[in-house]
Amino acid sequence: MQNNKEEFLERIEAHKPIIYKICNSYCKNRYNRDDLAQEILYQLWKSYSHFNHTVKFSTWMYRVALNVAITFYRKTKTGQDIIHLAEPDIEIEDNTEDAGELEKNISTLQQCINELKELDKALMILYLEEKSYSEISEILGITDTNVATRISRIKDKIKQKFSILNN
Amino acid sequence: MEDITLKNLWKAQDEKLDRAMKLNLFMLESMQKQKAASKLNGLARLKLFAVILGIVWSLFLGVLVYGNQLQNMYFTVSAGMIILITIAATVAYIRHIVLIKELDYSQNITDTQKKLARLQASTFNNRFILLQTPFYTTWFWSTEMIQASVTKFCLIAVPITLLFTVLTIWLFKNLTPLKMHKQWVSYLLKNDPEQKPVIQAQKFLHDLEEFKTSP
Repeated sequence: MQNNKEEFLERIEAHKPIIYKICNSYCKNRYNRDDLAQEILYQLWKSYSHFNHTVKFSTWMYRVALNVAITFYRKTKTGQDIIHLAEPDIEIEDNTEDAGELEKNISTLQQCINELKELDKALMILYLEEKSYSEISEILGITDTNVATRISRIKDKIKQKFSILNN
Repeated sequence: MEDITLKNLWKAQDEKLDRAMKLNLFMLESMQKQKAASKLNGLARLKLFAVILGIVWSLFLGVLVYGNQLQNMYFTVSAGMIILITIAATVAYIRHIVLIKELDYSQNITDTQKKLARLQASTFNNRFILLQTPFYTTWFWSTEMIQASVTKFCLIAVPITLLFTVLTIWLFKNLTPLKMHKQWVSYLLKNDPEQKPVIQAQKFLHDLEEFKTSP
């Protein structure tokens, strides 16, 4: 049990960014974000004894973390966790013109991701994380063709939004 | 805007994410104890209580029907129907408990979320329980009671049963998300705090189906 726990903690430590990214994408409220992170960690630990070593650890982790995040998001979206789309989440200290442009583009990308429905959001996170279509379909439980078509549609919408904002 | 730019922006954002959130890796055991009383377990406990209540109620009515030895057909039929509907509801609740216990977050997203949404939406699927209501107005009928005063029986007991029957069937047919376009259904369901998550779950189930099937 102790070895199991140590092994788990080591793996989580190595894959911690997955939890950060998912929490930041599904939760804009700082306190809720802490709760979501703990909930994900708890569910990962609870499911770890059933972890099938034939699946990649990151694939398993994405499944658990996204399932918990979507459930959490659906519980909190009715008013408790209001997302202020106009305000960028990230503070960038660099004041150069390039940094300003970067900040604007990151903010636009955030807005686009925030506006997506919970399942499309999961799809887009996995795409931006450079997961293969087959891995995305394994995590989400949809076909490769469906993955490809949906990603293409969402990207078109995001590009449209960028062109509107930049013109 | 190229794909590569989107991915680069995502990476740039990644470097500035909130990493200060509390990831307490050393508190797993105590977290496990705390979570033992989580909401989902609470839901399972509530359903378990309903199952026990259903079994006790069915057994109690069963004993009464057995004791009655078919002497009063009105009572036998009424209690029999209530037992049947209670057993069906108990079976549905047992299925929910199994579903709660089987929930596995490491399965794929669409399947797991569908199970969760179905659980939340189960209130609508269990509205057949309403159908037992009219039988509570007939179980005390008896041939002696009818013969004693046919007029009173026809003017009071029968209209009450008819009223409950019509009302129950009407509610059963109308109290569904499919009738949300009707103002009173929408008003009734949207203003009921217990129904709100159920309606959202129904909508999410629809989104899930669309997400899974339409390319």
